[in-house]
Amino acid sequence: MNSGIDLQGTFIESLMDLGLPLGAAKAIWMPLPMLLMIIGATVGVLVTVWLERKISAAAQQRIGPEFIGPLGVLAPVADGLKLIFKEDVIPAKSDPWLFTLGPVIVVIPVFLSYLIVPFGQNLIVSNVGMGVFLWIALSSVTPIGLLMSGYASNNKYSLLGGLRAAAQSISYEIPLALAVLAIAMMSNSLSTVDIVDQQSGYGILGWNIWRQPIGFLIFWIAALAECERLPFDLPEAEEELVAGYQTEYSGMKFALFYLGSYINLVLSALLVAILYLGGWEFPIPLDAIAGWLNVSPTNPVFQVVTASLGITMTLLKAYFLVFTAILLRWTVPRVRIDQLLDLGWKFLLPISLVNLLLTAALKISFPAFFGG
Amino acid sequence: MMNFLKQVGDYVKEAGQAAKFIGQGLSVTFDHMKRRPVTVQYPYEKLIPSERFRGRIHFEFDKCIACEVCVRVCPINLPVVDWEFNSATKKKKLKHYSIDFGVCIFCGNCVEYCPTNCLSMTEEYELSTYDRHELNYDNVALGRLPYKVTDDPMVTPLRELAYLPKGVLDPHDLPAGAQRAGLRPEQIVAATPAKTDSTKESNAS
Repeated sequence: MNSGIDLQGTFIESLMDLGLPLGAAKAIWMPLPMLLMIIGATVGVLVTVWLERKISAAAQQRIGPEFIGPLGVLAPVADGLKLIFKEDVIPAKSDPWLFTLGPVIVVIPVFLSYLIVPFGQNLIVSNVGMGVFLWIALSSVTPIGLLMSGYASNNKYSLLGGLRAAAQSISYEIPLALAVLAIAMMSNSLSTVDIVDQQSGYGILGWNIWRQPIGFLIFWIAALAECERLPFDLPEAEEELVAGYQTEYSGMKFALFYLGSYINLVLSALLVAILYLGGWEFPIPLDAIAGWLNVSPTNPVFQVVTASLGITMTLLKAYFLVFTAILLRWTVPRVRIDQLLDLGWKFLLPISLVNLLLTAALKISFPAFFGG
Repeated sequence: MMNFLKQVGDYVKEAGQAAKFIGQGLSVTFDHMKRRPVTVQYPYEKLIPSERFRGRIHFEFDKCIACEVCVRVCPINLPVVDWEFNSATKKKKLKHYSIDFGVCIFCGNCVEYCPTNCLSMTEEYELSTYDRHELNYDNVALGRLPYKVTDDPMVTPLRELAYLPKGVLDPHDLPAGAQRAGLRPEQIVAATPAKTDSTKESNAS
Protein backbone atom coordinates (compact mmCIF):
# COMPACT_ATOMS: atom_id res chain seq x y z
CA MET A 1 0.00 0.00 0.00
CA ASN A 2 1.64 3.24 -1.08
CA SER A 3 1.06 6.41 0.86
CA GLY A 4 -0.35 8.31 -2.12
CA ILE A 5 -0.44 12.06 -2.24
CA ASP A 6 0.56 13.88 0.93
CA LEU A 7 -0.73 17.41 0.38
CA GLN A 8 -0.01 18.53 3.91
CA GLY A 9 3.64 17.42 3.80
CA THR A 10 4.29 19.01 0.41
CA PHE A 11 2.56 22.26 1.37
CA ILE A 12 4.48 22.62 4.63
CA GLU A 13 7.77 21.71 2.96
CA SER A 14 7.28 24.30 0.22
CA LEU A 15 6.46 26.98 2.82
CA MET A 16 9.57 26.05 4.79
CA ASP A 17 11.61 26.37 1.60
CA LEU A 18 10.36 29.97 1.44
CA GLY A 19 12.00 30.55 4.84
CA LEU A 20 9.03 30.15 7.20
CA PRO A 21 9.52 28.31 10.50
CA LEU A 22 7.79 24.91 10.87
CA GLY A 23 5.19 26.20 13.35
CA ALA A 24 4.11 29.05 11.09
CA ALA A 25 3.90 26.76 8.07
CA LYS A 26 1.68 24.35 9.99
CA ALA A 27 -0.50 27.23 11.24
CA ILE A 28 -1.00 28.43 7.66
CA TRP A 29 -1.92 24.91 6.55
CA MET A 30 -4.37 24.23 9.37
CA PRO A 31 -7.39 26.41 8.36
CA LEU A 32 -7.26 25.24 4.72
CA PRO A 33 -8.67 21.71 5.10
CA MET A 34 -11.19 22.94 7.67
CA LEU A 35 -12.50 25.59 5.29
CA LEU A 36 -12.52 23.06 2.47
CA MET A 37 -14.48 20.64 4.65
CA ILE A 38 -17.11 23.23 5.59
CA ILE A 39 -17.52 24.28 1.96
CA GLY A 40 -17.60 20.64 0.90
CA ALA A 41 -20.22 19.76 3.50
CA THR A 42 -22.40 22.71 2.50
CA VAL A 43 -22.15 21.91 -1.20
CA GLY A 44 -22.92 18.30 -0.33
CA VAL A 45 -26.07 19.47 1.42
CA LEU A 46 -27.13 21.55 -1.59
CA VAL A 47 -26.63 18.54 -3.85
CA THR A 48 -28.57 16.32 -1.44
CA VAL A 49 -31.48 18.75 -1.21
CA TRP A 50 -31.61 18.94 -4.99
CA LEU A 51 -31.47 15.14 -5.26
CA GLU A 52 -34.17 14.81 -2.63
CA ARG A 53 -36.46 17.09 -4.61
CA LYS A 54 -35.73 15.53 -7.98
CA ILE A 55 -35.88 11.89 -6.82
CA SER A 56 -39.01 12.54 -4.76
CA ALA A 57 -40.58 14.09 -7.83
CA ALA A 58 -39.57 11.14 -10.00
CA ALA A 59 -40.94 8.63 -7.49
CA GLN A 60 -44.25 10.49 -7.54
CA GLN A 61 -44.23 10.93 -11.34
CA ARG A 62 -43.70 14.68 -11.16
CA ILE A 63 -40.90 16.75 -12.68
CA GLY A 64 -39.74 18.71 -9.64
CA PRO A 65 -37.75 21.95 -9.77
CA GLU A 66 -37.13 22.72 -13.41
CA PHE A 67 -36.63 26.40 -14.10
CA ILE A 68 -34.40 27.53 -11.19
CA GLY A 69 -31.12 27.02 -13.00
CA PRO A 70 -30.53 24.10 -15.38
CA LEU A 71 -32.70 21.17 -14.17
CA GLY A 72 -33.48 23.21 -11.06
CA VAL A 73 -30.02 22.85 -9.52
CA LEU A 74 -30.30 26.31 -7.99
CA ALA A 75 -33.51 25.44 -6.09
CA PRO A 76 -31.67 24.64 -2.82
CA VAL A 77 -29.66 27.88 -3.19
CA ALA A 78 -32.91 29.78 -3.56
CA ASP A 79 -34.25 27.99 -0.46
CA GLY A 80 -31.18 29.02 1.49
CA LEU A 81 -31.36 32.63 0.33
CA LYS A 82 -35.00 32.80 1.32
CA LEU A 83 -34.22 31.47 4.79
CA ILE A 84 -31.34 33.93 5.25
CA PHE A 85 -33.51 36.95 4.47
CA LYS A 86 -36.49 35.73 6.45
CA GLU A 87 -37.41 37.43 9.72
CA ASP A 88 -35.91 35.68 12.71
CA VAL A 89 -38.76 35.35 15.20
CA ILE A 90 -38.10 34.53 18.85
CA PRO A 91 -41.41 33.74 20.60
CA ALA A 92 -42.19 36.12 23.47
CA LYS A 93 -42.66 33.43 26.12
CA SER A 94 -39.62 31.39 25.08
CA ASP A 95 -36.21 31.31 26.68
CA PRO A 96 -34.20 33.39 24.18
CA TRP A 97 -30.79 31.99 25.20
CA LEU A 98 -31.66 28.30 25.01
CA PHE A 99 -33.77 28.99 21.93
CA THR A 100 -30.75 30.42 20.11
CA LEU A 101 -28.28 27.89 21.50
CA GLY A 102 -30.38 24.85 20.50
CA PRO A 103 -29.81 24.88 16.70
CA VAL A 104 -26.14 25.78 17.20
CA ILE A 105 -25.59 22.73 19.40
CA VAL A 106 -27.36 20.59 16.82
CA VAL A 107 -25.22 21.76 13.91
CA ILE A 108 -21.70 22.08 15.32
CA PRO A 109 -21.13 18.39 16.23
CA VAL A 110 -22.27 17.34 12.78
CA PHE A 111 -19.78 19.68 11.11
CA LEU A 112 -17.05 18.55 13.53
CA SER A 113 -17.69 14.92 12.61
CA TYR A 114 -16.48 15.67 9.08
CA LEU A 115 -12.96 15.83 10.57
CA ILE A 116 -12.73 12.05 10.52
CA VAL A 117 -14.11 11.39 7.02
CA PRO A 118 -11.27 10.22 4.76
CA PHE A 119 -11.38 10.62 0.98
CA GLY A 120 -7.98 9.01 0.46
CA GLN A 121 -4.93 7.79 2.32
CA ASN A 122 -3.98 11.35 3.31
CA LEU A 123 -7.10 13.21 2.21
CA ILE A 124 -8.50 13.58 5.70
CA VAL A 125 -8.66 16.63 7.95
CA SER A 126 -7.29 14.84 10.99
CA ASN A 127 -6.49 11.16 11.26
CA VAL A 128 -7.62 10.77 14.87
CA GLY A 129 -6.67 7.42 16.36
CA MET A 130 -10.19 6.86 17.66
CA GLY A 131 -12.02 8.45 14.73
CA VAL A 132 -15.27 6.47 14.74
CA PHE A 133 -15.52 6.76 18.50
CA LEU A 134 -15.19 10.53 18.15
CA TRP A 135 -18.09 10.48 15.69
CA ILE A 136 -20.30 8.44 18.04
CA ALA A 137 -19.42 10.77 20.93
CA LEU A 138 -20.19 13.88 18.87
CA SER A 139 -23.44 12.50 17.52
CA SER A 140 -24.74 12.00 21.06
CA VAL A 141 -24.38 15.76 21.67
CA THR A 142 -27.06 16.45 19.06
CA PRO A 143 -30.10 15.24 21.09
CA ILE A 144 -29.18 17.73 23.82
CA GLY A 145 -29.57 20.54 21.31
CA LEU A 146 -32.86 19.10 20.05
CA LEU A 147 -34.25 18.73 23.56
CA MET A 148 -33.00 22.23 24.42
CA SER A 149 -34.74 23.83 21.45
CA GLY A 150 -37.91 21.83 22.06
CA TYR A 151 -37.99 22.87 25.70
CA ALA A 152 -37.05 26.53 25.12
CA SER A 153 -39.78 27.01 22.50
CA ASN A 154 -42.40 26.85 25.27
CA ASN A 155 -44.74 24.95 22.98
CA LYS A 156 -46.39 21.57 23.56
CA TYR A 157 -45.59 20.25 20.11
CA SER A 158 -41.98 21.40 20.28
CA LEU A 159 -41.48 19.84 23.70
CA LEU A 160 -43.03 16.57 22.55
CA GLY A 161 -40.86 16.60 19.42
CA GLY A 162 -37.74 17.36 21.43
CA LEU A 163 -38.47 14.56 23.89
CA ARG A 164 -39.12 12.12 21.08
CA ALA A 165 -35.91 13.16 19.32
CA ALA A 166 -33.92 12.61 22.50
CA ALA A 167 -35.54 9.22 23.16
CA GLN A 168 -34.96 8.14 19.58
CA SER A 169 -31.34 9.25 19.40
CA ILE A 170 -30.47 7.62 22.71
CA SER A 171 -32.07 4.30 21.85
CA TYR A 172 -30.56 4.06 18.39
CA GLU A 173 -27.10 5.11 19.52
CA ILE A 174 -26.58 1.73 21.19
CA PRO A 175 -27.12 -0.58 18.19
CA LEU A 176 -25.13 1.92 16.11
CA ALA A 177 -22.21 1.78 18.53
CA LEU A 178 -22.39 -2.02 18.72
CA ALA A 179 -22.32 -2.31 14.93
CA VAL A 180 -19.29 -0.03 14.84
CA LEU A 181 -17.70 -2.08 17.62
CA ALA A 182 -17.87 -5.23 15.50
CA ILE A 183 -16.08 -3.36 12.70
CA ALA A 184 -13.50 -1.99 15.09
CA MET A 185 -12.88 -5.49 16.43
CA MET A 186 -12.22 -6.78 12.93
CA SER A 187 -9.98 -3.86 11.98
CA ASN A 188 -8.13 -3.72 15.32
CA SER A 189 -8.50 0.06 15.12
CA LEU A 190 -11.00 2.86 15.51
CA SER A 191 -9.28 5.08 12.97
CA THR A 192 -11.28 5.47 9.77
CA VAL A 193 -8.15 5.31 7.63
CA ASP A 194 -7.13 1.99 9.20
CA ILE A 195 -10.63 0.61 8.75
CA VAL A 196 -10.53 1.37 5.02
CA ASP A 197 -6.97 0.04 4.72
CA GLN A 198 -8.09 -3.22 6.28
CA GLN A 199 -10.73 -3.60 3.54
CA SER A 200 -8.31 -2.87 0.70
CA GLY A 201 -6.35 -5.29 -1.44
CA TYR A 202 -9.10 -7.54 -2.80
CA GLY A 203 -11.31 -4.94 -4.48
CA ILE A 204 -15.04 -5.36 -4.01
CA LEU A 205 -14.59 -8.77 -2.39
CA GLY A 206 -12.63 -7.33 0.51
CA TRP A 207 -15.30 -4.86 1.60
CA ASN A 208 -16.73 -5.23 5.07
CA ILE A 209 -20.29 -5.61 3.78
CA TRP A 210 -19.56 -9.29 2.96
CA ARG A 211 -18.18 -9.94 6.41
CA GLN A 212 -20.73 -7.81 8.26
CA PRO A 213 -24.03 -7.98 6.34
CA ILE A 214 -26.12 -7.85 9.53
CA GLY A 215 -23.97 -5.07 10.92
CA PHE A 216 -24.43 -3.11 7.69
CA LEU A 217 -28.21 -3.31 7.91
CA ILE A 218 -28.24 -2.43 11.61
CA PHE A 219 -25.91 0.48 11.03
CA TRP A 220 -27.95 1.85 8.14
CA ILE A 221 -31.28 1.53 10.01
CA ALA A 222 -29.80 3.16 13.12
CA ALA A 223 -28.17 5.88 11.02
CA LEU A 224 -31.51 6.67 9.38
CA ALA A 225 -33.05 6.91 12.84
CA GLU A 226 -30.21 9.17 13.99
CA CYS A 227 -30.80 11.49 11.02
CA GLU A 228 -34.57 11.42 11.60
CA ARG A 229 -35.17 10.28 8.05
CA LEU A 230 -38.59 9.22 6.99
CA PRO A 231 -39.42 5.84 8.46
CA PHE A 232 -38.23 7.32 11.74
CA ASP A 233 -39.01 11.01 11.33
CA LEU A 234 -41.66 11.14 14.03
CA PRO A 235 -39.90 13.79 16.16
CA GLU A 236 -40.47 16.23 13.30
CA ALA A 237 -43.66 14.73 11.89
CA GLU A 238 -45.39 17.56 10.06
CA GLU A 239 -48.87 16.08 10.28
CA GLU A 240 -48.81 15.06 13.92
CA LEU A 241 -46.43 17.40 15.72
CA VAL A 242 -46.38 20.39 13.36
CA ALA A 243 -42.69 19.70 12.64
CA GLY A 244 -41.90 18.95 16.30
CA TYR A 245 -39.04 20.90 17.81
CA GLN A 246 -38.81 23.09 14.69
CA THR A 247 -42.33 24.51 15.09
CA GLU A 248 -41.31 27.89 16.50
CA TYR A 249 -38.19 28.33 14.41
CA SER A 250 -37.90 30.49 11.31
CA GLY A 251 -35.22 32.16 9.25
CA MET A 252 -31.61 31.26 9.84
CA LYS A 253 -32.27 29.20 12.98
CA PHE A 254 -34.60 26.94 11.05
CA ALA A 255 -32.00 26.84 8.27
CA LEU A 256 -29.48 25.51 10.79
CA PHE A 257 -31.79 22.60 11.67
CA TYR A 258 -32.44 21.96 8.00
CA LEU A 259 -28.74 22.10 7.17
CA GLY A 260 -27.91 19.94 10.19
CA SER A 261 -30.30 17.17 9.26
CA TYR A 262 -29.04 16.98 5.68
CA ILE A 263 -25.37 17.16 6.64
CA ASN A 264 -26.07 14.39 9.09
CA LEU A 265 -27.61 12.31 6.32
CA VAL A 266 -24.60 12.82 4.05
CA LEU A 267 -22.25 12.13 6.95
CA SER A 268 -24.03 8.88 7.82
CA ALA A 269 -23.93 7.82 4.17
CA LEU A 270 -20.20 8.64 4.02
CA LEU A 271 -19.57 6.63 7.17
CA VAL A 272 -21.49 3.64 5.86
CA ALA A 273 -19.38 3.90 2.71
CA ILE A 274 -16.21 4.01 4.79
CA LEU A 275 -17.09 1.32 7.32
CA TYR A 276 -18.82 -1.17 5.04
CA LEU A 277 -18.26 -0.29 1.37
CA GLY A 278 -14.52 0.13 1.33
CA GLY A 279 -14.28 3.91 1.52
CA TRP A 280 -12.18 5.27 -1.32
CA GLU A 281 -11.38 1.81 -2.74
CA PHE A 282 -12.22 1.08 -6.36
CA PRO A 283 -14.18 -2.21 -6.92
CA ILE A 284 -11.07 -3.59 -8.66
CA PRO A 285 -7.82 -3.05 -6.71
CA LEU A 286 -5.99 -0.18 -8.37
CA ASP A 287 -2.54 -1.55 -7.59
CA ALA A 288 -3.41 -4.64 -9.62
CA ILE A 289 -4.51 -2.45 -12.55
CA ALA A 290 -1.24 -0.55 -12.27
CA GLY A 291 0.59 -3.87 -12.37
CA TRP A 292 -1.23 -4.94 -15.57
CA LEU A 293 -0.51 -1.59 -17.22
CA ASN A 294 3.11 -1.65 -16.03
CA VAL A 295 2.70 1.70 -14.24
CA SER A 296 4.73 2.24 -11.12
CA PRO A 297 2.54 2.99 -8.04
CA THR A 298 4.80 5.97 -7.31
CA ASN A 299 4.14 7.53 -10.73
CA PRO A 300 2.78 11.08 -10.05
CA VAL A 301 0.10 10.85 -12.76
CA PHE A 302 -1.06 7.52 -11.37
CA GLN A 303 -1.19 9.03 -7.87
CA VAL A 304 -3.30 11.98 -9.00
CA VAL A 305 -5.64 9.60 -10.84
CA THR A 306 -5.86 7.38 -7.74
CA ALA A 307 -6.61 10.31 -5.46
CA SER A 308 -9.35 11.76 -7.70
CA LEU A 309 -10.79 8.29 -8.26
CA GLY A 310 -10.79 7.79 -4.48
CA ILE A 311 -12.77 10.99 -3.88
CA THR A 312 -15.17 10.06 -6.68
CA MET A 313 -15.66 6.53 -5.33
CA THR A 314 -16.33 7.76 -1.78
CA LEU A 315 -18.87 10.30 -3.01
CA LEU A 316 -20.48 7.80 -5.39
CA LYS A 317 -20.96 5.25 -2.63
CA ALA A 318 -22.25 7.88 -0.23
CA TYR A 319 -24.70 9.32 -2.74
CA PHE A 320 -25.91 5.86 -3.68
CA LEU A 321 -26.84 5.43 -0.01
CA VAL A 322 -28.47 8.88 0.03
CA PHE A 323 -30.48 7.73 -2.98
CA THR A 324 -31.68 4.62 -1.15
CA ALA A 325 -32.61 6.80 1.84
CA ILE A 326 -34.72 9.06 -0.38
CA LEU A 327 -36.33 6.06 -2.09
CA LEU A 328 -37.07 4.56 1.34
CA ARG A 329 -38.73 7.83 2.29
CA TRP A 330 -41.40 7.31 -0.37
CA THR A 331 -41.73 3.59 0.26
CA VAL A 332 -41.98 3.07 3.99
CA PRO A 333 -44.67 4.64 6.17
CA ARG A 334 -43.76 6.49 9.36
CA VAL A 335 -43.60 4.29 12.47
CA ARG A 336 -45.28 5.13 15.76
CA ILE A 337 -43.16 6.06 18.77
CA ASP A 338 -43.84 2.71 20.50
CA GLN A 339 -42.98 0.78 17.33
CA LEU A 340 -39.83 2.83 17.02
CA LEU A 341 -38.66 2.06 20.53
CA ASP A 342 -39.71 -1.59 20.09
CA LEU A 343 -37.59 -1.84 16.96
CA GLY A 344 -34.65 -0.18 18.67
CA TRP A 345 -34.62 -2.03 21.97
CA LYS A 346 -36.25 -5.38 21.17
CA PHE A 347 -34.95 -6.00 17.66
CA LEU A 348 -31.82 -4.05 16.79
CA LEU A 349 -30.16 -4.23 20.20
CA PRO A 350 -30.27 -8.06 20.62
CA ILE A 351 -29.37 -8.61 16.97
CA SER A 352 -26.43 -6.26 17.16
CA LEU A 353 -25.25 -8.01 20.32
CA VAL A 354 -25.51 -11.38 18.57
CA ASN A 355 -23.66 -9.88 15.61
CA LEU A 356 -20.89 -8.68 17.89
CA LEU A 357 -20.60 -12.10 19.54
CA LEU A 358 -20.62 -13.83 16.16
CA THR A 359 -17.89 -11.52 14.90
CA ALA A 360 -15.77 -12.24 17.96
CA ALA A 361 -16.25 -15.99 17.51
CA LEU A 362 -15.43 -15.83 13.80
CA LYS A 363 -12.41 -13.68 14.49
CA ILE A 364 -11.04 -16.36 16.82
CA SER A 365 -11.91 -19.23 14.46
CA PHE A 366 -10.87 -17.67 11.13
CA PRO A 367 -8.33 -14.96 11.93
CA ALA A 368 -7.28 -14.81 8.27
CA PHE A 369 -10.67 -13.63 7.05
CA PHE A 370 -11.86 -11.62 10.03
CA GLY A 371 -8.74 -9.63 10.83
CA GLY A 372 -6.76 -11.63 13.40
CA MET B 1 -36.77 -25.41 25.07
CA MET B 2 -38.49 -26.36 21.80
CA ASN B 3 -41.08 -23.69 22.48
CA PHE B 4 -38.39 -21.08 22.81
CA LEU B 5 -36.69 -22.21 19.61
CA LYS B 6 -40.03 -22.07 17.80
CA GLN B 7 -40.52 -18.50 19.03
CA VAL B 8 -37.08 -17.54 17.78
CA GLY B 9 -37.79 -19.21 14.44
CA ASP B 10 -41.10 -17.39 14.05
CA TYR B 11 -39.44 -14.11 14.92
CA VAL B 12 -36.73 -14.60 12.32
CA LYS B 13 -39.35 -15.58 9.75
CA GLU B 14 -41.36 -12.44 10.48
CA ALA B 15 -38.27 -10.26 10.20
CA GLY B 16 -37.47 -11.91 6.86
CA GLN B 17 -40.99 -11.29 5.62
CA ALA B 18 -40.83 -7.64 6.70
CA ALA B 19 -37.59 -7.24 4.76
CA LYS B 20 -39.20 -8.93 1.73
CA PHE B 21 -42.18 -6.56 1.81
CA ILE B 22 -39.97 -3.50 2.16
CA GLY B 23 -37.99 -4.76 -0.83
CA GLN B 24 -41.18 -5.17 -2.85
CA GLY B 25 -42.23 -1.63 -1.90
CA LEU B 26 -38.84 -0.28 -2.93
CA SER B 27 -39.11 -1.99 -6.30
CA VAL B 28 -42.50 -0.31 -6.83
CA THR B 29 -41.14 3.17 -6.05
CA PHE B 30 -38.07 2.47 -8.17
CA ASP B 31 -40.27 1.42 -11.07
CA HIS B 32 -42.24 4.66 -10.81
CA MET B 33 -39.09 6.71 -11.33
CA LYS B 34 -38.82 5.52 -14.94
CA ARG B 35 -42.34 6.61 -15.84
CA ARG B 36 -43.31 9.81 -17.58
CA PRO B 37 -44.61 12.55 -15.24
CA VAL B 38 -48.39 12.60 -15.04
CA THR B 39 -48.52 16.25 -14.05
CA VAL B 40 -49.85 18.91 -16.43
CA GLN B 41 -47.17 21.58 -16.98
CA TYR B 42 -49.74 24.30 -16.48
CA PRO B 43 -48.90 27.48 -18.35
CA TYR B 44 -47.55 25.46 -21.29
CA GLU B 45 -50.01 22.58 -21.16
CA LYS B 46 -53.66 22.83 -20.20
CA LEU B 47 -56.41 20.30 -19.80
CA ILE B 48 -59.40 20.69 -22.09
CA PRO B 49 -62.34 21.33 -19.74
CA SER B 50 -65.18 18.85 -20.03
CA GLU B 51 -68.40 19.91 -21.75
CA ARG B 52 -70.15 20.11 -18.38
CA PHE B 53 -67.46 22.33 -16.87
CA ARG B 54 -68.94 25.08 -14.70
CA GLY B 55 -66.70 28.06 -15.24
CA ARG B 56 -67.26 31.80 -15.43
CA ILE B 57 -70.85 32.65 -16.44
CA HIS B 58 -71.60 34.17 -19.82
CA PHE B 59 -74.48 36.64 -20.14
CA GLU B 60 -76.31 37.88 -23.23
CA PHE B 61 -77.68 41.33 -22.55
CA ASP B 62 -80.22 41.44 -25.35
CA LYS B 63 -81.93 38.19 -24.40
CA CYS B 64 -82.52 39.17 -20.77
CA ILE B 65 -86.08 40.07 -19.78
CA ALA B 66 -85.09 41.25 -16.27
CA CYS B 67 -87.35 38.64 -14.65
CA GLU B 68 -84.92 38.25 -11.72
CA VAL B 69 -85.36 34.46 -11.60
CA CYS B 70 -81.56 34.17 -11.45
CA VAL B 71 -81.57 36.30 -8.30
CA ARG B 72 -84.26 34.17 -6.67
CA VAL B 73 -82.64 30.80 -7.39
CA CYS B 74 -79.18 32.01 -6.40
CA PRO B 75 -78.21 30.69 -2.93
CA ILE B 76 -77.04 34.18 -1.95
CA ASN B 77 -79.09 36.36 -4.33
CA LEU B 78 -75.89 37.38 -6.06
CA PRO B 79 -76.79 38.71 -9.56
CA VAL B 80 -77.52 42.42 -9.58
CA VAL B 81 -80.32 43.21 -12.06
CA ASP B 82 -80.81 46.92 -12.61
CA TRP B 83 -83.96 47.60 -14.66
CA GLU B 84 -86.61 50.27 -14.93
CA PHE B 85 -90.21 50.02 -16.08
CA ASN B 86 -90.78 51.47 -19.49
CA SER B 87 -94.36 52.74 -19.32
CA ALA B 88 -94.57 53.27 -23.12
CA THR B 89 -93.97 49.58 -24.01
CA LYS B 90 -95.20 48.34 -20.60
CA LYS B 91 -92.07 46.21 -20.35
CA LYS B 92 -89.03 46.11 -18.05
CA LYS B 93 -85.98 47.68 -19.61
CA LEU B 94 -82.67 46.20 -18.40
CA LYS B 95 -80.04 48.82 -17.63
CA HIS B 96 -77.21 46.92 -15.98
CA TYR B 97 -76.49 43.36 -14.96
CA SER B 98 -73.54 42.13 -12.88
CA ILE B 99 -72.30 39.05 -11.04
CA ASP B 100 -69.45 39.14 -8.51
CA PHE B 101 -67.31 36.03 -9.16
CA GLY B 102 -65.44 36.62 -5.94
CA VAL B 103 -68.64 35.50 -4.16
CA CYS B 104 -70.22 33.19 -6.76
CA ILE B 105 -69.95 29.46 -6.00
CA PHE B 106 -70.54 28.39 -9.62
CA CYS B 107 -73.50 26.20 -8.67
CA GLY B 108 -75.17 26.94 -11.99
CA ASN B 109 -78.68 27.46 -10.61
CA CYS B 110 -79.10 30.76 -12.47
CA VAL B 111 -78.08 29.08 -15.75
CA GLU B 112 -80.50 26.23 -15.05
CA TYR B 113 -83.51 28.43 -14.38
CA CYS B 114 -83.02 31.34 -16.80
CA PRO B 115 -86.22 31.32 -18.90
CA THR B 116 -84.61 32.91 -21.97
CA ASN B 117 -81.27 31.05 -21.80
CA CYS B 118 -79.38 34.31 -21.63
CA LEU B 119 -77.04 32.86 -18.98
CA SER B 120 -74.61 30.05 -19.81
CA MET B 121 -71.52 28.45 -18.37
CA THR B 122 -68.15 28.91 -20.10
CA GLU B 123 -64.98 26.88 -19.64
CA GLU B 124 -63.00 29.84 -18.30
CA TYR B 125 -61.41 29.19 -14.92
CA GLU B 126 -58.43 31.54 -14.82
CA LEU B 127 -60.05 34.29 -12.78
CA SER B 128 -57.14 35.44 -10.63
CA THR B 129 -56.76 39.18 -10.06
CA TYR B 130 -54.75 41.42 -7.77
CA ASP B 131 -57.89 43.13 -6.49
CA ARG B 132 -61.03 41.20 -5.54
CA HIS B 133 -63.26 44.00 -6.83
CA GLU B 134 -62.04 43.26 -10.33
CA LEU B 135 -64.00 40.00 -10.06
CA ASN B 136 -67.26 41.93 -10.04
CA TYR B 137 -68.13 41.47 -13.73
CA ASP B 138 -70.62 43.87 -15.34
CA ASN B 139 -72.72 43.00 -18.38
CA VAL B 140 -69.91 43.92 -20.79
CA ALA B 141 -67.38 41.67 -19.07
CA LEU B 142 -69.97 38.93 -18.73
CA GLY B 143 -70.63 39.11 -22.44
CA ARG B 144 -67.04 38.24 -23.41
CA LEU B 145 -66.29 34.71 -24.56
CA PRO B 146 -63.19 32.95 -23.21
CA TYR B 147 -60.31 31.95 -25.44
CA LYS B 148 -60.42 28.25 -26.20
CA VAL B 149 -57.49 26.15 -24.98
CA THR B 150 -57.40 24.27 -28.28
CA ASP B 151 -57.05 27.52 -30.25
CA ASP B 152 -54.15 28.92 -28.22
CA PRO B 153 -50.85 28.46 -30.10
CA MET B 154 -48.87 28.89 -26.85
CA VAL B 155 -50.62 26.00 -25.13
CA THR B 156 -50.52 22.25 -25.67
CA PRO B 157 -54.08 21.11 -25.01
CA LEU B 158 -54.33 17.83 -23.11
CA ARG B 159 -57.40 15.64 -22.84
CA GLU B 160 -58.74 14.66 -19.46
CA LEU B 161 -58.58 11.03 -18.39
CA ALA B 162 -62.20 10.27 -19.33
CA TYR B 163 -61.63 11.54 -22.86
CA LEU B 164 -58.66 9.29 -23.64
CA PRO B 165 -58.97 6.15 -25.78
CA LYS B 166 -59.56 2.88 -23.97
CA GLY B 167 -56.56 1.72 -21.95
CA VAL B 168 -54.55 4.92 -22.54
CA LEU B 169 -53.46 6.83 -19.44
CA ASP B 170 -51.07 9.36 -20.94
CA PRO B 171 -52.61 12.33 -22.79
CA HIS B 172 -49.29 13.16 -24.52
CA ASP B 173 -48.58 12.16 -28.13
CA LEU B 174 -51.96 10.68 -28.94
CA PRO B 175 -52.35 9.48 -32.54
CA ALA B 176 -54.40 11.87 -34.66
CA GLY B 177 -58.11 11.11 -34.57
CA ALA B 178 -57.89 8.94 -31.47
CA GLN B 179 -61.37 8.67 -30.00
CA ARG B 180 -62.45 8.37 -26.40
CA ALA B 181 -63.71 5.08 -25.08
CA GLY B 182 -67.39 4.40 -25.69
CA LEU B 183 -69.78 6.12 -28.03
CA ARG B 184 -70.12 9.84 -28.61
CA PRO B 185 -73.49 11.41 -27.75
CA GLU B 186 -74.51 11.84 -31.40
CA GLN B 187 -73.63 8.19 -32.08
CA ILE B 188 -75.89 7.11 -29.20
CA VAL B 189 -78.70 9.24 -30.63
CA ALA B 190 -78.19 7.74 -34.10
CA ALA B 191 -78.11 4.21 -32.71
CA THR B 192 -81.34 4.39 -30.74
CA PRO B 193 -84.54 3.86 -32.83
CA ALA B 194 -86.60 7.01 -33.25
CA LYS B 195 -89.28 7.10 -30.58
CA THR B 196 -92.81 8.31 -31.18
CA ASP B 197 -93.63 10.97 -28.61
CA SER B 198 -96.65 9.08 -27.34
CA THR B 199 -96.19 10.05 -23.68
CA LYS B 200 -96.10 13.74 -24.44
CA GLU B 201 -99.16 13.56 -26.65
CA SER B 202 -101.14 11.67 -24.05
CA ASN B 203 -100.20 14.27 -21.43
CA ALA B 204 -101.27 17.08 -23.72
CA SER B 205 -104.63 15.59 -24.57
